[in-house]
Amino acid sequence: MNQKRKLSDIHPGDSLPSVVKHITQEEINLYAEASGDFNPIHIDESFAAQTPLGGTIAHGMLILAYMSEMMTKAFGESWLSGGKLSVRFKAPARPKDTITTSGKIDSVEHKEGVPYVNCSLESRNQKGETVITGGAVVKLQPIP
Amino acid sequence: MSPISFEELAVGYEFPATSYELSQPLIAQYLEAVGGQQYFLTSGVVPPLAIAAYAMTALSQSFSVPPGSIHASQEFEFLKLVPIGSTVSCGGKIVQKVQRGRLHLVVLEINALNQDEEKVLSGKATIAVPI
Repeated sequence: MNQKRKLSDIHPGDSLPSVVKHITQEEINLYAEASGDFNPIHIDESFAAQTPLGGTIAHGMLILAYMSEMMTKAFGESWLSGGKLSVRFKAPARPKDTITTSGKIDSVEHKEGVPYVNCSLESRNQKGETVITGGAVVKLQPIP
Repeated sequence: MSPISFEELAVGYEFPATSYELSQPLIAQYLEAVGGQQYFLTSGVVPPLAIAAYAMTALSQSFSVPPGSIHASQEFEFLKLVPIGSTVSCGGKIVQKVQRGRLHLVVLEINALNQDEEKVLSGKATIAVPI
């Protein structure tokens, strides 16, 4: 894990290291087991088929974990103890989808001498449809 | 304690505080489910989304969410590193409950504290519940 990131390495417009994941029903079931979230919309195919969604969908928190993976790769500890995430779930991620999570640095601002990095983030499926959109703010930790 | 019904949930309702241990096996299982990020095991730090996921699950067990409910939006702020093996206590409350068409939108605030009662995570989730 990248421990901390220097302010001099951060430039508005830079892309964040994207994360690509293929979703399967088995992985959704594994996430349900790990998280304890057994909502049938995620794991019960016959129930989910009767809903307006027409089939099972991945947990939103699973896709957010991919987003957090990208932010951890980009900012290391500064993300883990100084990150702020705000997202909207726009469309479901389904079994057999390939989800690409990407982001870019929008700006760097200083508040009381502390640098904060503003990023825009999104996750898209293989059809290019937005699954999650949002933003993040990272308070950069000082490097001793 | 039996979960309260969704209909009984009102703005201002505070969820009972719940504690959970972020043990090494639990985090290993979480990391397997999210497909990687094994560096958390070597660094001994809990992935922040794992804290969030277990807090959300802990809170949701105190009320019955109708089947078919889905996540509409989410905010999180990660405030402190949490070592693997820590016990975290979480709480939350309902801050909004409105009807939009054939959905109820419920907004809940979430907080997680470490053993020293320092806040390690805060957040806000919007859950869309079919009517």
